[in-house]
Amino acid sequence: MSRTRQLGKLFVADMKLMFREKQVWFWNIFFPIILMVIFMLIFGSSSENFKAKVAIVETSANATSDRLEQELRNVPVFEWKSEQPVDQAQADKWIEDKDVDAVIVLPATEDAKTLKLIFNKETEMSATSQAISGIVGQFIEQANWSEAGVTPTFNLDVSSISGGSEDLEYADFLMTGQIALAIAQGGLFGMVGMVEMRRKGLLKRLKMTPVRLGLLGLSGMIVRFILGVFQILVLTAIGAGFFGVNLHIDPATLIVAFFVGAITFNALGYLFSSFSKTMEAYMGYANIASFVMMFLSGIFFPTSGFPDWLKTVSEVLPLTYFVEGMRDGMAYGSGIGSSDYWLGIAILAGWGAVTYAIGALVYRRTKIEAR
Amino acid sequence: MPVLEVKGLRKTFGAVTAVAEISFSVEAGEVFTIIGPNGAGKTTTLEMIEGLVPPDAGTITVDGLTWEKNEDEIKYKIGVQPQSSAMFDLLTIEENLDLFASFYPRSKSIAEVLEMINLTDHRSKYVKSLSGGQRQRLAIGLAMISDPDVIFLDEPTTGLDPQARRNIWDIVLKLKELGKTTILTTHYMEEAEKLSDRVCIVDQGRIVTLDTPAALIDRLTKEREVRVSFLDGESAAAEAESVAAQLPGVTKTVREGAFLQLWSVQPEESLYGLFGFTKERGFRVEQVSIRELSLEDVFIAFTGKEWRD
Repeated sequence: MSRTRQLGKLFVADMKLMFREKQVWFWNIFFPIILMVIFMLIFGSSSENFKAKVAIVETSANATSDRLEQELRNVPVFEWKSEQPVDQAQADKWIEDKDVDAVIVLPATEDAKTLKLIFNKETEMSATSQAISGIVGQFIEQANWSEAGVTPTFNLDVSSISGGSEDLEYADFLMTGQIALAIAQGGLFGMVGMVEMRRKGLLKRLKMTPVRLGLLGLSGMIVRFILGVFQILVLTAIGAGFFGVNLHIDPATLIVAFFVGAITFNALGYLFSSFSKTMEAYMGYANIASFVMMFLSGIFFPTSGFPDWLKTVSEVLPLTYFVEGMRDGMAYGSGIGSSDYWLGIAILAGWGAVTYAIGALVYRRTKIEAR
Repeated sequence: MPVLEVKGLRKTFGAVTAVAEISFSVEAGEVFTIIGPNGAGKTTTLEMIEGLVPPDAGTITVDGLTWEKNEDEIKYKIGVQPQSSAMFDLLTIEENLDLFASFYPRSKSIAEVLEMINLTDHRSKYVKSLSGGQRQRLAIGLAMISDPDVIFLDEPTTGLDPQARRNIWDIVLKLKELGKTTILTTHYMEEAEKLSDRVCIVDQGRIVTLDTPAALIDRLTKEREVRVSFLDGESAAAEAESVAAQLPGVTKTVREGAFLQLWSVQPEESLYGLFGFTKERGFRVEQVSIRELSLEDVFIAFTGKEWRD
């Protein structure tokens, strides 16, 4: 009876402490929003409106070059710098200034068979350049076949497939990643209050009262759960409202991933707090962990492009499994029935259990009364 | 039966002996003050009694209860204001009191505590915006929120200005009126003398002496310093000196111009004789005083150390 009353009072106090702290608002709400919006604006435009700016160089007009130009002008994703072919010098200038993504040089004579493609050295490895090479390559193949009067036997029809829903787009991927990251950071950084309480002697002061410190931890946990729900709602509202994110929510999948993830990252924060004597030290540890995981756990980009050794690292990190679980629950709308999902949840929970155990051990070894 | 009984307390940290041997008992309703130089073991002693630090040896009983068996009951009976008063900075005074009150099965009303610590007008202020004196008063308020029988105040006035210090004294005196037992440590002798029923001087982890402030002063050497100054100048003072040296009880005289100092084991007798002489000769005395002894003298006498505030 009095325990519930104590928990209630602690919870109310914790809520006030959290929402009166401006830092909490900034790092847990505004920062994730800013990060998400920036990434959405840079990378969020999906492939269907892929456009490449291209110019054509015609050194001397001839039948072959005229016909090729005619056909190239029909490729829908090319946006033309000029309606008329230009000379080599003008094209080189555009390339250097990055006014165009690529320049296509038409054959100089009727008998010449070579089409030249020019990129800026700096952007030669970019996705746009790769796409242009692919498109032009395919175009030439088509041209060869029609020249030889062959009807191709095989055709390649490319379409993307993602698990569950068909319309998973980058914006969906990014928003769910950002939500997972925000919740994870909430946990990693959330124990800073504990460090401060210990440093200022408040923990010692509370030890002089009959309150159970476990209740204090529990109420802090509940408050961070509420913050997590708030983060999900705000980021989802912005993602869906401004960036056309598609949601495929499976409540059970989402709730399990959220709970296990939030607890695990709280445990990580608890571990950091156990061996941090000052707030600065704690923030240092939390920042390192958050930075490493942010880029290695597939928050902003899929990990499939990583070299093998880095993939292995990624497969160890808890955020990898948390973000997968959250995506299962919010973007794919399935997961609760799959063994992969539960394996991920189990690894995540394992991280939580181990870090909590170590944290508790360190706390027991170091005296709270240490000033 | 004493409300607090401490027997043979001992605590070492590595090679350092913080508390060597401390025993005392405190009766209900007393203001019991522990003074001593820095590092004497005052805070460690308090922290052992408050249940924060387990002693290496010795027993502590609060109202017949021990920490090993009755941790919660003792916590209900005591209230603590630690040296560094930590509280929730982003909660208001009232919210802090309300939260701490919820930790206990019974508590004083918040309005009553606010009244006692004179913070009623500031109750909606965040703790982080309080002055040093207000913070300290709130810390004492938090210590009394559970209406404890025994209250520990660890240097409640250190670093406060004289007015703020006096406000704290008022609170201690109010607590005494309410019949509470107060265990106090302080850096100010004046405070110990004014507030305490008994004073315990601690040095190097041991009790040097323990008694009422008056008895402690009384226990000092019987020789008192008497000062007399004469309106009739140096010659009168010189004559008086030669007479005074012969008076009963006088051990030593020193004269500087018209100002005469004498040390006597019977100051009343010596003064009686001296005034008989001045009356007979018609010398006019400008000022006369017997220097009061203070706890500071007691401290110096017992520890051989200068007192530093």
